[in-house]
Amino acid sequence: MHGEEWSHTILQTDPMRLYRAKRDQARRTVTSKYIILGFISSGTYGRVYKAQSVEPEGQIYAIKKFKPDKEGDVVTYTGISQSAIREIALNKEIVHENIVALKEVILEDKSIYMVFEFAEHDFLQVIHHHSQTLRIQIPSQFLKSLIYQLLNGLVYLHSTHILHRDLKPANILITASGVVKIGDLGLARLVHQPLQPLFAGDKVVVTIWYRAPELLMGAKHYNKAVDCWAVGCVIAELASLRPIFKGEEAKLDSKKNVPFQRDQLLKIFEVLGTPEEKDWPGVRDMPEYQNMKRLDPYQNRLSEWCQSRIRSQQGYELLRQLFAYDPDKRLTAKEALMHKWFQEDPRPTWNVFHYVAANQLPPQRRITQDEAPSMMGVPAHTAQTQAQTQTQIAQAHAHAQAQHLSQQSQANLSQQSKPGSAASFGSGSVGPGQGGYSGSQGSQTRKKARIS
Amino acid sequence: MATDFWASSHYKRWIIDRATLRQARTDDLQYVEDPEYLEFFSIFFANVIAKLGKKLNLRQRVIASATVFFRRFYLKNSYCETDPFIVIAACCYVAAKAEESPIHIKNMVAETRLFFSQPPYSVKSFPSDNSKLAEMEFYLVDDLECDLTIFHPYRTLLSLCKTESSSDLQAEAGEVAAGIDDGLRYWGSGDGQLELPDGALQLAWSIINDTYRSNLCVVYPPHLLAITALYLTLVLHSPTREMLQSHSSSAAQQVQSQLTEHQTSPRRSSRQASHASNTGKKSAQDFIGFFADLNVSMPLIATIAQEIISLYTLWDRYKEDCPPDNTARTSFQGQATQAGSPFSSTTHASRSGSLSGAGTPVTVAPEVPGDTQRYGGTGVVTPVILMQILARMRENRLSDLSHPASGRPVAVNKMLERTQAAG
Repeated sequence: MHGEEWSHTILQTDPMRLYRAKRDQARRTVTSKYIILGFISSGTYGRVYKAQSVEPEGQIYAIKKFKPDKEGDVVTYTGISQSAIREIALNKEIVHENIVALKEVILEDKSIYMVFEFAEHDFLQVIHHHSQTLRIQIPSQFLKSLIYQLLNGLVYLHSTHILHRDLKPANILITASGVVKIGDLGLARLVHQPLQPLFAGDKVVVTIWYRAPELLMGAKHYNKAVDCWAVGCVIAELASLRPIFKGEEAKLDSKKNVPFQRDQLLKIFEVLGTPEEKDWPGVRDMPEYQNMKRLDPYQNRLSEWCQSRIRSQQGYELLRQLFAYDPDKRLTAKEALMHKWFQEDPRPTWNVFHYVAANQLPPQRRITQDEAPSMMGVPAHTAQTQAQTQTQIAQAHAHAQAQHLSQQSQANLSQQSKPGSAASFGSGSVGPGQGGYSGSQGSQTRKKARIS
Repeated sequence: MATDFWASSHYKRWIIDRATLRQARTDDLQYVEDPEYLEFFSIFFANVIAKLGKKLNLRQRVIASATVFFRRFYLKNSYCETDPFIVIAACCYVAAKAEESPIHIKNMVAETRLFFSQPPYSVKSFPSDNSKLAEMEFYLVDDLECDLTIFHPYRTLLSLCKTESSSDLQAEAGEVAAGIDDGLRYWGSGDGQLELPDGALQLAWSIINDTYRSNLCVVYPPHLLAITALYLTLVLHSPTREMLQSHSSSAAQQVQSQLTEHQTSPRRSSRQASHASNTGKKSAQDFIGFFADLNVSMPLIATIAQEIISLYTLWDRYKEDCPPDNTARTSFQGQATQAGSPFSSTTHASRSGSLSGAGTPVTVAPEVPGDTQRYGGTGVVTPVILMQILARMRENRLSDLSHPASGRPVAVNKMLERTQAAG
């Protein structure tokens, strides 16, 4: 029979054809759900776009499009990258005020789109704004609020056994309403009893300026302390408006061996002094110990460094403890959050912009237009979409402005009823065993899965 | 929270009820001659995943995650409209990445293609083109709704048992942990750990491996499966049972009586449990107190134990040339020869207990021996038979789609018959 021949051929040549047809039909496309407003930034992973939901509320989002795989000029499937799998898997499980929230993931036409809540600012932009435009230090209350919320998010991540592994000013965002959001979990991973040592997965982690000494010394095993070192670097950078340890990265050689990071270590030693065994007993066992011993000795002058920049004994203490050479002695995120610095005046505020004068607010995130229409890589409707996008943008801007203001005033209101003391602040991590599960009723209350 | 089960996507979205499970098979039921074959598919495909995993040197945890992905995929899709072999390959490929031990796609395709081309599968259509597997991965991740973090019972098992020399098992148990750093278990009270004789932990571990041969992993939270595995171990593992019996005069019976007691009034079980732990004598190895302190529903544990036993009963009729290792089947078979029944008399008692127990909504699984009798239960099923059935289902489905007007009333009638027969 003709029909059976046909079905036999299909089963042999493309057995999943039926399935794909069904799925493709059911899928809602990115452009049917969002209007792309403009291009924000790009990186090795792909590009980030600003977009507005077509839903009545017209919420603003940041859509991260992973670079599609190409073979020549033809986009093809080559397997989802490990970092995309990580970022998706982790983001689906975590919810916290100070972590950028993932709204949804859309897999469409060989590309992956992650839809995140939109954040108007980031730490790097705040630093630039103060160093280039305002030419003043970041006010200490503003700075303290930024760090407090950063730590609050980090405590949560660490309580779930997630290492961020790439904390730096550009990855720490701030919403228009003044809430800090840790972003970019592309390098993050779970560390609770991994099947393989962490080193085996990614040989190089953390941007060089924020990389902890144990990583620079070639440690195979590392832990949450690498994130805490990076927080120390971020505090110092906010305080001085330039990276505290701005070393030159020695590049991987042709065999992909990780080289000795001489310059970066020197930059650290210049401020913190050469590590001594009494401070860091494990330093002798570090693979790069012999290389390190050949460097010139330095004295610790962190106290001096802090004098004009941090201007608080407690602030210096916090930084000193975050910059402990020995990872085991370094302050944990939780300890840092409880630090006395946050309990002395000026206290951190819920809205980090609370005491920032309106004319000193950092500018809105810049978006560009030229990249936007090409997002979907479909030239067919470009002209039409572009016209539509242009009008939408004008509306969206007005909308975003209004939203910004209303959120601002709302936040200010709530601020008055809630003094920005550390105690009234976010309560840190969510403990285990919440929700009071009653085992005896498990069978009755079991939830039905969302099956679409 | 990646390590908080109650906040996880696993708990919130992927623990489903039996009705949903049945609904997922609607299309398949139209094309399968006997619904029981679909249960055998569950065993068969889990074995395929386990064996492919071995070939690829995947760890047990990766294999377990791949199996859960496979089950979740077929909650939304039908066997008759898909090629389970490419789905299996994609599940393993994604699971390896999700568990941070990725395999290169080239090796993946080469190994898988070779393995599937051999008997009993003899699948010749597995694509040699990497992009075909990558394409399937893409659709799979979409169907999984990007929920790639899976909790497994292994970790709970280890948190319940004292382990000295089992760092290997510990590494296997997984990073998705039950807040072990905080010294807490994620479902509530209870502390302390059981000390088990040699081999008992391994047996419990193997029982957990076996649960992946059914849909238990999408129906029950992993910690309940772990506790059930432990419970079955106490009953089945002879040295453990002897130790248990010598310890307190009749500990096993007490466990039983407590079970029955709970079953008659399941609503008050937790209160009774704490009551029992207060009054019961607390020796170093007070098994009853230990289970009571776990603060889980013992009737529910008994129900799950039932379903696991039904799985072994079904599995008895499934014959494979080289069955996978790491299973606890032999222990059950050993019991069968000893007691002259598919399960030990103790377990049998608990079973009738749960059958007579009032008001447990998730009563015994639909595929208990009753079904087996109805379908003339003794027929042996082999991978070759299942491969033929799968091929027929898919061909018939396709030809129905190519003649949409005519349809296949025969198949529909058959399904109706089955449904009515099953009640």
